[in-house]
Amino acid sequence: MKEFLPKRIWQWFERTRVGRSIFRVGLPQSNLERAQAMVSSFLLHMQPAKVNRHSLRASYSFGLGLISLYLFLILTFTGVLLMFYYVPSTDHAYNVMKDLQFVVSAGLIMRNMHRWAAHLMVIFVLLHMCRVFYTGAYKRPREFNWVLGVGLFLLTLGLSFTGYLLPWDQLAYWAITVGTNIAAYAPYIGPELKYVMLGGNAVGQEALIRFYALHVIVLPAIAGFLIAVHIWRVRKDGGLSRPDEAGDTVQQVELSQLPTSKTYGLMELARGTTPQVGRNPEDEVFAWPHLIFRELLLFLLVVAAVLFLAVFWNAPLEELANPVHPPNPAKAPWYFLGLQELVSYSAFWGGVVVPGVLVLALVLLPYLDHNRKGVGRWFARDRVVANTIFTVCLVIAIVLTIIGTLFRGPNWSWQEPWKKPPAVTESH
Amino acid sequence: MNPIAPDKHVSRRGFFELTLGWIAAMFAVCASAVGAVRFLVPNVLFEPSLVFKAGKPEDFPDGSVTFLEEERVFLVRQGNTFRCLSAICTHLGCTVNRTGQGYHCPCHGSVFDDQGGVKSGPAPRALEWFLVTLSKDSRLLVDKNQRVNSDKYLVL
Amino acid sequence: MTKDSLRKFYVWFTVLGLLVGGLVVLGYYRDEDREWKDYQRKYAQEEIRRASNPQQRALAERIPIQIRQILLPDLNRVDRCTTCHLAVDDPSYGGYPQPLAYHPLHEQHPVEKFGCTVCHRGQGRATTAADAHGNVPHWDDAMLPLKYIQASCGKCHQAADNPGAPELARGQQVFEESGCRGCHKLAGVGGLIGPELDKVGARRSPGWLKEHFLSPGTVTPGSGMPPQKFSEPDLDAITLFMLSQVGETTPGYYASMKVIPGVAAGQRLFQEKGCIGCHSIAGKGGTIGPALDDVGSRRSPEWMMQHFREPQAVTSGTVMPKFGFTEEEARALTDFLVHLHEQNVASSLPSAMNPVERGHEVYRNYGCAGCHGPEGKGGVPNPNAKTAQLVPDLIHVADGYTNDELKERILKGQREITPLDPNRPQPPLYMPAWGGIIKDAQVDDLVAYLMSLKPKGEESGF
Repeated sequence: MKEFLPKRIWQWFERTRVGRSIFRVGLPQSNLERAQAMVSSFLLHMQPAKVNRHSLRASYSFGLGLISLYLFLILTFTGVLLMFYYVPSTDHAYNVMKDLQFVVSAGLIMRNMHRWAAHLMVIFVLLHMCRVFYTGAYKRPREFNWVLGVGLFLLTLGLSFTGYLLPWDQLAYWAITVGTNIAAYAPYIGPELKYVMLGGNAVGQEALIRFYALHVIVLPAIAGFLIAVHIWRVRKDGGLSRPDEAGDTVQQVELSQLPTSKTYGLMELARGTTPQVGRNPEDEVFAWPHLIFRELLLFLLVVAAVLFLAVFWNAPLEELANPVHPPNPAKAPWYFLGLQELVSYSAFWGGVVVPGVLVLALVLLPYLDHNRKGVGRWFARDRVVANTIFTVCLVIAIVLTIIGTLFRGPNWSWQEPWKKPPAVTESH
Repeated sequence: MNPIAPDKHVSRRGFFELTLGWIAAMFAVCASAVGAVRFLVPNVLFEPSLVFKAGKPEDFPDGSVTFLEEERVFLVRQGNTFRCLSAICTHLGCTVNRTGQGYHCPCHGSVFDDQGGVKSGPAPRALEWFLVTLSKDSRLLVDKNQRVNSDKYLVL
Repeated sequence: MTKDSLRKFYVWFTVLGLLVGGLVVLGYYRDEDREWKDYQRKYAQEEIRRASNPQQRALAERIPIQIRQILLPDLNRVDRCTTCHLAVDDPSYGGYPQPLAYHPLHEQHPVEKFGCTVCHRGQGRATTAADAHGNVPHWDDAMLPLKYIQASCGKCHQAADNPGAPELARGQQVFEESGCRGCHKLAGVGGLIGPELDKVGARRSPGWLKEHFLSPGTVTPGSGMPPQKFSEPDLDAITLFMLSQVGETTPGYYASMKVIPGVAAGQRLFQEKGCIGCHSIAGKGGTIGPALDDVGSRRSPEWMMQHFREPQAVTSGTVMPKFGFTEEEARALTDFLVHLHEQNVASSLPSAMNPVERGHEVYRNYGCAGCHGPEGKGGVPNPNAKTAQLVPDLIHVADGYTNDELKERILKGQREITPLDPNRPQPPLYMPAWGGIIKDAQVDDLVAYLMSLKPKGEESGF
């Protein structure tokens, strides 16, 4: 039986001079070529040529990191397109939202995709972090990659928060007003931080242009760079964490000890446990096609999910921002509502101590946790103390966020979401 | 692990799925790309419309040449005839001025006669005349999409 | 890769590829399926049906299906209403059902110059009926019901001078007569007990306003505003006047409407006809008829027009002769007198009046009646006030105050009102300090007026 047509066309193309100049290795036919395909391609070389079977198991990683990456790519794509219309001016920003909805072809869907992908990214980055914690994957030699991951989590929040202001509607205006005021509770630097962030004392034109610059260039550039390093480190630190890895001694291979007659260009001569060093070859498969094809499928799945949300649900857009008439209650973006709930009890503890300690604990976690057992298994018995502490913190954070989001009515009073809110006394 | 055998024996079902899969994926990619391009093609313009109402005929006195700033045209009335002359120099797009009986371009010195014809200077062509009709609410309707000869009048 | 896993991959690949492709197509479909296209197709069909010759038919067939918009940079608006209302500027569509009706005021207010939303409000950028008409969540500025459309005339025209907007003038009259200014500031003049009203029309719906007048406490819990007993027409008129207060000024071309062409002609007529023989302006002229400096605030343009036509019919027993003005002349004189009021509204009151009369004017202009009742007769509730839960009447001030004490009280006000029951909330109404708002000389007049209120023949009770 003949090869099917697109493949034959492709094979013809990659044999031409142009094709060979673009793709250094053609569609791989042998194991050598499969390895070369990974290593010689700029986009693929961040990943190893061979991966452990364990790493491919969906029930281990759930692809959460990849999903976060794909959401970042979707956000970049839709974000750049939206930039062609957006004007970071208090006079025009809101009108642009209306025009996207009413006159620009696919404008509303583009904005919906951007909005929903942004919310999903916050959720999936958090889930990814939980996965890494519960499988003990942050332990040696992956400590620093965890720290990078915490940085990326904060960047994700920053990207979402700065983007929140851009539609310049009531939702945006008051969420940012509340959010920046939570930041102002930090001792010493808090008020200055808010002042610099907003370019003034209140949210206005200056704040809009600052948030815009942060949102479209500063934060994405940093995040893009860190994501590349993060993925590259996954490979350099020996692929995804595995259960039997904890007992392995990490070998530092000295280049000078290697026979000089061989070329090690394709080999993984890096510090740490690598697929090639000290591993059983039977556990390894070629990244092409096993990993790459799975990644492709997951990408399609993520795009489909975001499209589905964007086609059927519209991104919120409230009235034009009005500094005189705050909504009651004025709420921060949902992922900060746990903090806002805490701040409603105690500004100092909720706004400063708790978030500060949490971030610091997350950053230092891999260096504080001396227990080397329980890597590569979900909820390992050896890690019951760490898992319990993490779970308690997580549950508290989720419960606070849910309370802040759903159970807080006018004047931040308790309000069951299924009951009608009481009439609010309006001050003139 | 088993070395991968060349796919000599792709079943009929596999062949069907493979082809359909690639067609679907290619379609999705192309449709998204078309969507992105369509997104960038504006549906409305935030510039003066090319078709515009210049005003009531009686707003323009007999024998007058009126410059309409925003639309960059001259409205010419002679007796009960109306015409509309472009004020954009055919050389490099500057706005020409009315001088005496003709028009003069301040950028590179092209001189046009009262019919828009080139008298001197670098302009390659005469100034353009646009179609003038009467709108349903009895106003002069200029359509800058439609160029006409200088001897085409709206007669009222 | 084994054949089995390869097949599994291709199955997934196909399913997901089709899913993404299908969603993109669905997104397209939903995006392209716009309500306005139906209206445009119907309009095109109607144009083709009406075409009487091949040339017209060819034109009708070329009508593009596309969004129409009117750019109004001076008004900071983009109106896309004409995307559906395609025949607003075509008189031959007069009397057609919406959305294809001709706009009857198109001649005076050409749509390409004014757009739609500056008068009708709503959401000009929207391209669906519901969104454009504005009765949707998260849009404050719904279309003005036609009943209240005259509220918009005041953006460019003087409220009192526009013959096309009698309701607006009537509303202003009700506003001034009811003493709203006693508590509310409008255009910088008025008390501080209630909120400023400069932008109230942009914030509030007609329904809210009406309910608020009748029962303020229901709409705004804790409001100290006394319920108003307006007749139905007065209620509509003052609602309309409130709706006209949107804090929006129109620039350039639109503002030029406020320069009334009739004023100069009116002034000439006023001099030629010798009106000055009986009436005075700025203290110059006769005293047989009333001074006219502030006639614009006292009388509606309609009243003046009618008065010029038939003085006896409007003011029985007047000695003013019927001059037989033409309609145009009467219009010009009205414009002149109204304009006079505009220039003099806060300054010179005619000196021809005696202090008591002038004080009465002050009493009305600054809304004292809003709390103390017309002619100082009182009766306005002030819950929990020690004075019988009412704002005190002013008929007997002459018994309790000297002139200076009364003047002091007016200038300094009284912020704290003694409550009847200290455990209940403070009385909502209080006496604002009018110093700096009402001029000193005017306060003297006001005191004279208040002192004159004591009923004749009544003995001092003290």
